[in-house]
Amino acid sequence: MPKILLVEDNEMNRDMLSRRLQRKGYSVISAHDGEQGHLLACSEMPDLILMDISLPLMNGWEVTRLLKSSESTRHIPIIALTAHALVTDRDKAFEAGCDDYDTKPIEFGRLSEKIENLLVAKRVP
Amino acid sequence: MILQNLSIKRKLTLITMLTSSAALILSALSFLIYDLVSFRHLLIQDLMTQAEIIGYNSAGAMEFKDVSAATATLSALTAKEDVVTAGLYGRDSKMFAHYSRNNNVIPLLLPAHSQDKGYRFEAGYLQVFHDVTLNGERLGTLFLQSDMRQWSLRAKRYAGILCIFVLISGLFALLVSSRLQRLISRPILHLEDTMRMVSANRNYGVRATKSYGDEIGRLIDGFNTMLSEIQQRDTALRGANEELKARTGELEKEILYRKQTQEELLKAKHIAEEASRAKSTFLANMSHELRTPLNAIIGYSEMLEEETRELGKSDSVQDLRKIQSAGKHLLSLINDVLDLSKIEAGKMGLHLENFEVAPLIDEMATTLTPAAAKNGNTIHVHVANTLGAMHADVTKVRQILFNLLSNACKFTDHGTISVDVDESKVEGRDWIRFRVSDTGIGISAKQKENLFHEFSQADASIARKYGGTGLGLAITYRFVQLMKGRISVESAPGKGATFTVYLPAQVIAETSETTRPMASSDPAPSSDESKARKDTILVIDDDASVRDLMSRFLSKLGFHVVAAASGEEGVRLARQVRPLVITLDVVMPECDGWTVLKKLKSDSSLAEIPVIMVTIVDNEAMGLDLGASNYLIKPVDRDRLAVLIEKHRTGRSASITGAPATPFISSISSSRKGQKESELKSSRKVDHAKDLVSRR
Repeated sequence: MPKILLVEDNEMNRDMLSRRLQRKGYSVISAHDGEQGHLLACSEMPDLILMDISLPLMNGWEVTRLLKSSESTRHIPIIALTAHALVTDRDKAFEAGCDDYDTKPIEFGRLSEKIENLLVAKRVP
Repeated sequence: MILQNLSIKRKLTLITMLTSSAALILSALSFLIYDLVSFRHLLIQDLMTQAEIIGYNSAGAMEFKDVSAATATLSALTAKEDVVTAGLYGRDSKMFAHYSRNNNVIPLLLPAHSQDKGYRFEAGYLQVFHDVTLNGERLGTLFLQSDMRQWSLRAKRYAGILCIFVLISGLFALLVSSRLQRLISRPILHLEDTMRMVSANRNYGVRATKSYGDEIGRLIDGFNTMLSEIQQRDTALRGANEELKARTGELEKEILYRKQTQEELLKAKHIAEEASRAKSTFLANMSHELRTPLNAIIGYSEMLEEETRELGKSDSVQDLRKIQSAGKHLLSLINDVLDLSKIEAGKMGLHLENFEVAPLIDEMATTLTPAAAKNGNTIHVHVANTLGAMHADVTKVRQILFNLLSNACKFTDHGTISVDVDESKVEGRDWIRFRVSDTGIGISAKQKENLFHEFSQADASIARKYGGTGLGLAITYRFVQLMKGRISVESAPGKGATFTVYLPAQVIAETSETTRPMASSDPAPSSDESKARKDTILVIDDDASVRDLMSRFLSKLGFHVVAAASGEEGVRLARQVRPLVITLDVVMPECDGWTVLKKLKSDSSLAEIPVIMVTIVDNEAMGLDLGASNYLIKPVDRDRLAVLIEKHRTGRSASITGAPATPFISSISSSRKGQKESELKSSRKVDHAKDLVSRR
């Protein structure tokens, strides 16, 4: 059962998304700010991280950059979730080292596809 | 010459006097001469007669050689005052008797011998010799000598009379001429006076009075005519002058008024721009804030739908779907508003890439087939075989087509929607032409006017019947403009509509003020160039030591530092080097930091550059109000400054670095090679289409 870390500060979105992911058969752990997200990522070593970008304490870009710069967490795929559908956000996501990105509101089907793709890709090599 | 400079009055008097006196003197002289000549002649005659008488009387005495008788006869000459001497000569020419006025004086003047008869003048005396005869026999000669006393007396008297006469007549002439000269001199003097008055007072209203009809009279007439003409011109000139003055005054007022209006307009423009910016920011923020709860609404309803479907409660499924679709509709509206606000705020950039046109059209047709089917419409696609790839912002092209197609589907009932795409060359450039036509309700001429304006649906009833915000075409229009294309529409009510969009086959990125020079602006910017741009920091401070310290500190951090000692120089350098960040002092001579900040923020090409205030003035609120990004109080906490600048660097670098044409592929392919690329690419396209559908 793949373990997914969901870093999201909005309680409703966190609850909704984690429940839907669980229904899909993932094991979900969640964090409500950047620092907690970083800690959980390091301690729990999830298979994939869904990273909201506008987070308190430490924003999604910073957490991503930290995780991608550490040897132990670099391999974890990260999908950035941004509220803005701006070109710059997409660029920022890849700049920070995200493996994929999606915009809110979440199209669940599309997101699960992306998650699956990354998990498969991770298993292959 | 003294005479020439005399007044005309004097001249006239003098001329008259001299002329009359000369004439008088000449005539008097000629008369005098004539009189004297004839008087002398008379005297000669008289003396000769005297000589004849004396000669006759003394003939007896001579005959008888009676000297005493002869002397007695001669002494009768005493009666004649002017006879000075007399003598009788015998036949032998010897003195016989003599007479002298002064008896005792022997007349030495008497000639010793008689001479030939006749008269002669000798030493101022008139001498007469006369033959004394008796019965035809010559007895001797008589001699008379006169001193012409009468003549000289007469001459003297005449000269005296003449002098007095000339004097009196001269005086009289003076009197008369001095009166008569006025005839001529007075009008001339009057003319002169008038002229002097005119030239002294510049009063062209004065006129000389004409006294007589002579030449001077005509001169005065001429002068007066000349004056009237000058007066007329003067009046006209003065009138023109005043008119000119009045007009100049009016013009000045007009200019002042316009200047004020211009200033007011400028102010109003700034306020309006400010308001517009504020509105755009507000809309962007609002859209973001609205989307978060919407996210929950759509997400939960989807989740519930899945759950209820599993539980087999089909009634609830329908309702949940309605919540979902309403949520998605709301989302699409918010997205439209966000798009427009971004366009208006000039934050809508272009993300240019190469893509094949035909597959895009197919994809769009597929995406919209369900929407078309809803109203019983069919979609026909005609893409020219020759059509290849184009270089443009694919997302925006897709949205343009989507908007046009979904509008066509919306406003057509059981009809046909056709999409024609081909390529054409206009003005030496390649254009891709997209034509979307339908057989729907069409658009009236009046409706066309506002078709591409925000929030303007053809009329309110349409909004009720067909839904939508009226933003779709406005966004389409702006996107077309952004890519330097053209859009037009042909339609009539009930006859369907044909929208034609021309887009350049090779869209060139715009780097003007309206769009940010970001990712898309240059497909492949040279890394050196962008780096140079990225790393420059502009330090504006009038204190040389501060500039020096900042430069050293920032150089150590790896930035290129440009320093300006004054506000003006700072603004100029900002335009020139386009720094990553500007640090700005407040207290500076001439142009202070607030002014510089205002200038920077009001220049659309510079407004984006973050400004960090570095000053001793503690007025953070003011700085942030004016648009500063951060506010640091001197002495500067260097670590904080470094953090702030670094923050701006990362922020900017993310937006500046040229985004790879296919970011998904490039980033993913680094972790996992090839095999899935095409799959991902297509899935991404489908994602976008789905995204668009979900936004509507």
